[in-house]
Parts: sequence; C-alpha cells; structure tokens
Amino acid sequence: MNAPMDVDVSYYIVLSTVIFFIGVGGVILRRNPLIMLMAIELMFNAANLALIAFARVWINNAGQIFAFLVITVAASEAAIGLAIVVVVFRRAKNVDVDEVAGLRG
Amino acid sequence: MIAALVVLPIAAGLALYLVPRSAELTAKWLGVLVAFACFVIAVLGNGQPDESLRWLQRPFTANLHVGLGGLGYWIVLLLALSTCCALVALRIPRQRDFVAQMLLLLGAMSGVFVARDLLVFALFWDLMLIPVFLMLVAWAPRRNTATAWRYLVYNLSGGLALLLATAAYGVVEGSTDVIGLSVGHGATAIGAVWGTWIFAGYAFGFLVKTPVWPFHTWMPDTYADLPPPAVAVVSAVQSKAGLYGFLVVTAPLLPDQMRAATTLMFVLGLVGLVYGALVALVQDDAKRIVAYSSLSHLGLILLAAFSGNPVALAGAAVYIVAHGLFSAGLFIVLGQVEEREETRLLSRLGGLGEIEPKLAGALHIMVLAALGLPGLCGFAGEILILTGLYQAGAVWPTAIALVPIILAAAYMLRLFQHFMHGPPREDIPQRPDLRPVELLALAPLVVAIVLLGVYPGPVANSGVVAGPNAVVSLAIGARR
Amino acid sequence: MSNDALVLLALWLLPLASAILIFAFGPMLRRSAGVIGSGAVLVPFALTWVLAASALGTGGLKVHLFDWIAGFSFGLWLDPLSLLWTLIITGVGGLIHVYAIGYMWSDRAIARFFAYMNFFVFAMLTLVLSDNFVGLLVGWGLVGLASYFLIGFWFFKPSAVAAAMKAFVINVVGDAGLMFAVFVLFAATGSTAYADVFAKAATLAPATVLLACIAIFIGCAAKSAQIPLHTWLPDAMEGPTPVSALIHAATMVTAGVYLVARCAPLWDVSPEARALVGTIGALTALVGAILGIAQWDIKRILAYSTMSQIGYMIMGVGVGAYQAGILHFFTHAFFKAQLFLAAGIVIHALHDEQDLRKMGGLGKKMPLAFWAMTIGTLAIIGFPPFSGFFSKDAVIYGALERGYPLLSLIGVVTAGITAYYMCRMLFVTFLGNNRGNVPDVDLGIPAREHSEPHFGESAPAWVMGAPVAILMVPSVVAGWVVFGGRWNALFASDFAPKPESALATVLPEWLVGVVVLAFVAWGVAAAYHRYGSFDATVSAVERLRAESQRMAQPLVRAFYFDDALEALFVRPARAVGSAFMRVVDPHVIDGVVRDVVWLAGWIGREVRALQTGLVRGYALVLALGAAAFLAYFALIGASR
Repeated sequence: MNAPMDVDVSYYIVLSTVIFFIGVGGVILRRNPLIMLMAIELMFNAANLALIAFARVWINNAGQIFAFLVITVAASEAAIGLAIVVVVFRRAKNVDVDEVAGLRG
Repeated sequence: MIAALVVLPIAAGLALYLVPRSAELTAKWLGVLVAFACFVIAVLGNGQPDESLRWLQRPFTANLHVGLGGLGYWIVLLLALSTCCALVALRIPRQRDFVAQMLLLLGAMSGVFVARDLLVFALFWDLMLIPVFLMLVAWAPRRNTATAWRYLVYNLSGGLALLLATAAYGVVEGSTDVIGLSVGHGATAIGAVWGTWIFAGYAFGFLVKTPVWPFHTWMPDTYADLPPPAVAVVSAVQSKAGLYGFLVVTAPLLPDQMRAATTLMFVLGLVGLVYGALVALVQDDAKRIVAYSSLSHLGLILLAAFSGNPVALAGAAVYIVAHGLFSAGLFIVLGQVEEREETRLLSRLGGLGEIEPKLAGALHIMVLAALGLPGLCGFAGEILILTGLYQAGAVWPTAIALVPIILAAAYMLRLFQHFMHGPPREDIPQRPDLRPVELLALAPLVVAIVLLGVYPGPVANSGVVAGPNAVVSLAIGARR
Repeated sequence: MSNDALVLLALWLLPLASAILIFAFGPMLRRSAGVIGSGAVLVPFALTWVLAASALGTGGLKVHLFDWIAGFSFGLWLDPLSLLWTLIITGVGGLIHVYAIGYMWSDRAIARFFAYMNFFVFAMLTLVLSDNFVGLLVGWGLVGLASYFLIGFWFFKPSAVAAAMKAFVINVVGDAGLMFAVFVLFAATGSTAYADVFAKAATLAPATVLLACIAIFIGCAAKSAQIPLHTWLPDAMEGPTPVSALIHAATMVTAGVYLVARCAPLWDVSPEARALVGTIGALTALVGAILGIAQWDIKRILAYSTMSQIGYMIMGVGVGAYQAGILHFFTHAFFKAQLFLAAGIVIHALHDEQDLRKMGGLGKKMPLAFWAMTIGTLAIIGFPPFSGFFSKDAVIYGALERGYPLLSLIGVVTAGITAYYMCRMLFVTFLGNNRGNVPDVDLGIPAREHSEPHFGESAPAWVMGAPVAILMVPSVVAGWVVFGGRWNALFASDFAPKPESALATVLPEWLVGVVVLAFVAWGVAAAYHRYGSFDATVSAVERLRAESQRMAQPLVRAFYFDDALEALFVRPARAVGSAFMRVVDPHVIDGVVRDVVWLAGWIGREVRALQTGLVRGYALVLALGAAAFLAYFALIGASR
C-alpha cells in the first residue's frame, strides 16, 4: 500500500512547527488560564499533525496510535485543567495566572 | 533450618500483633519461647550446610544465601541468649508491642550474621534499624523523639554508604555471593580506585554502626533513651555488626584496602579507647557511663581487627562475645535498678547494697566483668587482643590501650559504689530485692560470663585465617 | 591423673567450693560459716603436707589443665617455692580464720565475711600454684578483688568504700604492668608458661628482659606496696583486723616477693633490673619505717611496718639473695600475723578504739595481747634469737655479699628506726596509765566521727586467744631453719648459687650482725627514753599532746605521695573527661554534624528564590530548556 503523497511531508512539518510555536507563545504570553489551556491544546495538535504526517511517510500505524493517545491525554488534561481554573476562580475571583502564585518559595 | 533463625522471629513478631493487646504475659512468654527456640536452632544449625535460593542474575548475581558457623555462630547464640534474658524479666507498658518489636529485631539481626551474600547482608543491615527506631519513638522518655531521628539519620547514612558499596562491588565483580570466601579468593582483581571507594563505603557503614570515634555521638543518647531490654540487645549485638563486618566481610574481600587503612583505624580506635574511658569517668547517668565504656571497649576490638595478628583476632572473637554478655547484663541490671528507684543518676543513689543485696551482687558481677577482672570474660578477650597487638609490633598502641583498662576499673567501681555503697539514702524508694524471675533472667548471663572467662578456647579458636599480605580474617565456617 | 594431682586440685578448689557454698547459704549458716570456712583452709593445709614429698622432688608436681589457644596453656605447679607459700597461706590463713570466728562473732554479715576470706585463699592459691603468667595474672587480679571486698567489708562506712576503691585501682595499675610483661614475654618466646619462658630467658635480648622485668615489677610494686604505689596499704586498714592480718600482712602483699623470686631466671640476666628492684625495696623499707614513727593508729603503724618489711624482702630477692628474701617472708608471715591479731584483741576489747593515745596501761588488763605483742615486736626488730633476727640479717648481709653496700647500709639504718617505732607502739599501748577516759582534746586528737561500736556479745576468749598463742611459737623459732644450711638447700634447684664478692670477705657476717644490733639497741633505748621510762609514763598526756601538735607536716602528709598521685593523675583525668563531655562531644563533633545540617538548610534557602510561583515563567524556562536540548543535538551532537 504504497500510495503516493500529494503534498510533500515538509509542508506538514512546517505547519506543525508554526502551530506549535503559536501554542508556546500563547502559554508564555497570555495570562488568562483558559487561553493558556487552548494554547496547550494547540501544541498537542501540532504534535498530532507531525505524528500522522510521519506515519504516512513511513507507512507505520504507530504514529496514528500515538495521536489517539495524545488526544485522550489532551482531553483529560483539559478536563482537569478546567476544573482547576474553576476552583481557582472561586477562591480568587480572578483568572490572572500571575496572581495565582501560592507556590512561590 | 538456618533460614528459620530469620523467618521464625520475624513471622512470630508480626503474628504477635494478632494477640490481644491485654495479653501481656502471654506475649512475653511467647517472645521468650521464640528467642529460646532460636538459641536451640542455632546450636543445632552450627556447621550445617548453607541454604541458598537464586535471587538476581542481572545486573549481578545475588542469592538468598545463609549459613552458620565461626564467629557468626557465636554472635547468633549471644543474640538469642541476650534477647531471651532481656525478655524474661520484662515489665514495660504496651508489652505486647514491645515484645513484637524485639522479635523483629532478633530476626533482622540474625539475618545480618547468617547472610552469605553481600546484598542480603546490606538488606538486613538496614532492616535492623527499623525496630530500634520504632522503639525509640514509641517508648521515648518524655515523648521526645529527637533521639530516634538522630539514630535513624546517622545509621541510614551508614546504611546507604554500605548499600552503594555493595552495588558497586556487585557491578565490578559480577557477584555478591561472596561472604565467607577465603582471603583473597580467586581472582579478586578489584582496581585500586574501585576498591578504595567500595572499602570506604563499607568502612563508613561499619564505623557508624559500631560506633567508632568520632561517629559515636548518636550512641549515648540512643542507649539512654531506649528501654533497658532493648538497649541490652542493641549494645550486645547490634554494636558488633560493624566489627563483624570488618573481620568477616571486608578483611577477606578487600585485604589490600584493609591493610592500607590500618593506621587510620588504629588512630580512631585508640582515640575512642581513651576518650570513652575519660568521659565515662565523669558521667552522672549510669547508662551513659556504660555507653561510653562501650565506645572504649569496642575501640580495642577495632585495633584487633586491623592488627593482622592471629592471637589478636582470636581475642577479638572472644571480646566480641564477652562484651555482648556483660553489656547486656549491665543494661538489664541498670534497668532493674531504675525500675525500683526511678532514677539511674549516680548522684541520686546510694546504699542500695544494704536493702537489695541480690541486686548489688548482680551488678557487681557485671561491673567486674566489664572492668576486665581476670577470670571473667572481659579479661580473656583483653589479654589475647593486647598480646596479639604487641606481637604484631604495635608496642605504643598496646601501652596506650592499658590506660583505659586502668580507667575502666575506676569508672566501673565508681558506678557500683555510688549505687550500692555508702550510707543508705532516705530520699529514694525502698523497694524489694530481685524477684526470682529477675534472677532467672541474669543467671544464664552470669554462667556464660564465668565460663567464657575461664575457658574461652572454643570461641577463640572459631576460625582465625591467615591470608596473603599479612591480612588475617575470621572464617565463618566452610561454604557448603 | 595421678593421686597427687587430684589432691592438688582438691586443695586448690576446696576454698572456692566453700566460698560459693557459704555465699549461697549464708543467711542459714550464720556463725557455723566460720567453722566451715576455717575447715576449708585447714584441710588444704593438711593436704599440702601430703604433697610435700612430690613437690620437693625433681621438677615438682605438675598438673596440666587446659589450653586457650597455642601458647596460652594452663596448669598447676607445686615446687619448693609454691609449696612454701601454700603452707603459709593455708597454715597462717587457717589460724586467722579461726581467730576471725571470734572477731566477727556478732557481725550480722559474718557469713559473707567468711565467703570472701575463703575466696581470697582460693585466689591466693591460684596465684602461687599457677604454672604460667596468665594464670598468675588471674590469681593476681582475684586476690586484688578479694582484698577490695574485704577492705570495703563495712560498706556503709564511706572511708572504707574509698579505701577499697583506691586499693583496687592501684592494684589494677599493677595488673596492667604485669599484663605488659606477658605481652613482652609472649612476643619474645611465643608462650606464657614459666617453663618455656625461663628456658629461653638467657637467649633473649637484654633490653627485652629489662622491659619485662620493669613491667613485672610494676605489678609487684602495686601488690606489695612498694613506693610510689604504696599509698593504698595504710588506707586498707579500714578492713576488719583479721583481713589486715591475712591479706595485708601475711600473704597477699608478699605476692610481689613471690613473683620476683619466681622470675629469678629473668632477673639473673638483667643486672639493671636487679639494681632497680633492690633500690626500690630498700627505699620502701626506709620510707615505711620513717612514716611508721608518725602514726597514732595502731593498725596504721603495723601497716607501715608491713610496707617496710616487704621492702626488705623485695630488696633481698631483688639483689639476688633469694633465700634471704624468702626467709624474711617466712618469718614475717608469723610475727606480723601475730602482731595484727594481738592488736585485734586490743581493738576488740576497746570497742573499735585504734588510737594509741587513748590506750596505755593495757599490759595488766590483757596479758595475752601484751606478751604476743612483745614477742612480735622482738621478732620484727630482729632481736636474737627471735625469728626476725635471722631473716633480716640474712637480707642485709645478702645485699652486701652481692655488691650492694649502700642498700645494706639503708637496711641497717632502717633496722634502727624499726626498733624505735615498734617499741614506741608497744610502750605507749601497754605501759603507763590508761588514758581511755582522757578527753580527745587533751591528747591532741583532732575531732573525729565516732562510729557506733558494732560489737555485741563476745565469743569465748579462747577462739581469739588460741591462734595468737599458737603463733607465738613460730614467731620465736621460725628463723632457726637457717641452721645447718637446710633452708638454702631447699631452693638449691630454683636459684643459681651466689657469686663470691670481695666485700663479703672483708666484712664477716657476725660483724654486720653486731652493727645491726647496735642500731636496734639505739632504737629501743630512744623509744624507752621517750615513751617507756617512768618520767615519760607519768607525764604521758602532756607529752603525747605536745608530740601530736608538733608532728612534722611531711610526716603527717606521708611525704605527699597521695597528694602527688591526686594532682598528677586523678584530677587531670577528671578534667579532661569533663572537657570531652561538656565541650568536645556537644560542640566539636556534634558541631561538625550541625554544620552539615546547616549547609543543607542554607542551600535550600538560597535555591528557593528560583521558585517564583509564576506559571508563565516556568513555561518559559521549559521552552528554553527544550530549545537548548534541540540546539545541542542540532549543532554539537550532530557533529559527533
């Protein structure tokens, strides 16, 4: 099953890299936890894109299986993350992550 | 059979928690029975074939290998005997739990002395800390657990060093199933660098456990705070684990390193000898006097272990057992005094000999054995060790070591006389003399002290082996 | 095992068995403990005679017991030397046991007393019968223990407890010396048995032998109260009087004499050791005699005289006049035991009064004590034909013969002083008027605590009287054994014959004897003039008070030996120990441990600043870290 690829793999990788760095920038620069969670989601999906692209290239389904795993992890991570955000919002009446610095040494 | 020495007390100790908390006497006599059973098993198991189970193949070979013989046999006997005696006269709050912990301690310590595999040795080495730590926490005077933590941290650091050294030995040599092999067995080609580090790890563990000056500061507190029956066993046997380690474990495996460390160990041993004796001369707390006297006496055995002389090593074997006997006896008797008079300070006591003559007699024998009275066990060990040291050419260390022997007479008699002699004090409770069961607890120790003092031959001949490079070790029976 | 061997074992172990028996069943036995205890000493005395023939045969009687390890073998050996000591220990010891039944009659702990006494006899027999140095050391230590028990027998008296402790510790110093000798000899010969060691004695290096001799002599000095280790002996008089007689006069304190004689093969090859031991013996004789002048306590006078007489014996065996030294031990055992027992009768009758100044005029009241004391005094000062005359002369002349004229001069002077202080004691105690009712202050006695007398009902008088009466006979005649040369022949196999000396040919023995007698006569006359004459007895109270108040300070402080030992050893040891306990342990060693703890805390405190709590900051570090990793593999890792 050696189907030819219509688009060269490098395009997928470039796109994946761009999305990943958008995610990184979102986590570092934004102070709203919801936006940060979305940015993390972006990074996960950038990784998924790369995994699937490479799976196609190497004709190896492991990459696709990994992508499924990542999706599950992302889902659970989002669930826990949102729960934490809700709890923090209830206590602090505020959703600025810089204000939530209870672990400062 | 030999494995039963470890399995039986540990299983019995755990099972004891199923007995109702209120069944104190049952618990006590069960404990005595188990300890006595261990004694019998040890007597029957001496020289029996080793028992071994395959354990690890990677990263190195390690087997659950146990055996009984030589010095290890005598120490296991001492352990069972002292546990038995300590339990017979037991009276302590939460008795069931205490007996259970004592049995766990018995099993773990037996493990150290029957192990024929370095990894098994290291395992039991750390295991025997736990009951002592728990007893220090649970029966701490004034609920002060600082001593317990101090004990744990000191001994765990020693144990960690020992474990790392064991792992390194296994990786370098490929097998840890080596305790009891003869000196310089096969192709012991540990490189100088690895050998030094491995020896340093073992030595640190052994020195802390013994303890040898300057690693001793955990010991007086621990001995003072542990309940007397526990400290009797700990000082009698646990303190010998380090010396046993030097004599039986490292001397055959790392002969070159042993020889290289001789000067350092002589200095530490001699300083400890004199230091312990001088401090014991001025202490007011009787248990601390005995603790510091242990520091002094064990320094002498350390000298013997590094002397490389067969006579000194024979003496070391005798003195290890002898010190176990009289220190167990001393702590048991001090416990009996404290139970009656509610103090053990020299400055608070006096004139007990008049009202409690049996107690005085018991303390007298222990004190005399401890100060090395000829005819009792302490003397037999001392004279053999010192004769050997002198023969090995260590003239000045021998001469210096005689000073603490003189001081021992002074501080031990000072202890005794402050307790027993002089006019009776009015301000202390007047309690009845020793009960028959308390005499029963001491009788075996007294008999052993006299027997070993008159005829230490069997212990002295328990296997001195001369190896290459003038290193001498104690054999622990053939590996079969 | 031959019959003789079994008898030897029996006579050795019988006192031990009796001691254990009496100790275990003491409360039931009470006074019959005394009978059992005496029997357990007198029966071995009889048994010893049975063995005399085989002991005097070639090589003596040997019994091998067991070995510890190679070179440490144990056994018994009865030869002429140990036979003599065994006879004295069991013979004189048995008489003193009988005497003690009376002396301790009303003491509650009489059974414990006899258990200790029997134990002492066992220990002393171990000492003299052992055929090796380690067995000797065991006996050596055990007699020290028995002595400690018996000095502190009345352990409710703080002074007795302190004296017992002092005696034990000084004796342990001696034990340590003896142990060192064992080390030296074992290293040189590979054995601890006398036979092996002495066989090789002549082949050893002189320095080794000298070292061994000095070490042995430290043991002897401590046990036999030679300077500077003598200070325990006067204090040891805190024990009951029979103890002083048996242990601190007749037997234990002469163990040093036995040991030097036993080790004759070592001394024979070391002239330096000879000179050292002889000198210390002579000095001890002199110092003991001088200090004897200044005492008021009847038992302390006897204690210093014991020290002085042992000095003679040590001088004798030290210079090589073994037969003379041993002879002096032999006669001394009788007359000194007798002196002590007579003093005991006096003390017993006066309810524990031991101060000479409170006595006086007792001659008429206690004729037996008076005559016993008189005969004992005549014997000890060397008045012919009493026993001490022969033995003391032999020692003094022996030193001269072997080329130590200075030592024999000291011996002569000491004989004069001995005569003076012994007669002083005799006259002040027994002549004149009784001063029992004169207040202490008038006699110059410093304030003292009166212990309540512990004597209740008394035993029949003969129990204490008979042993004293029996001892009078050997006190007189024991010295006569020298006639016919039999004494010297007895030990011919043990000791090398004496070398001929130039001095001995110039000064014949009778001349030396006359000189000694002249000094003795001077001493007696001086004592009579000061204490015994009519003038002196009439004004005794004033004279004694004046003497007490004007006594020279160095004599009262016993030449400061105690103070010196205290200042040199006891106080420094305590100070250093305290410093270790209060400073080094908590601050130096634990200080280092605390520093490690502090270091861990410090690192934590410094590093916690990195923990900002800013999630975005962590994310940035994370990203930079990932970038650094990538950069490493992309740029450097790739080039590998």
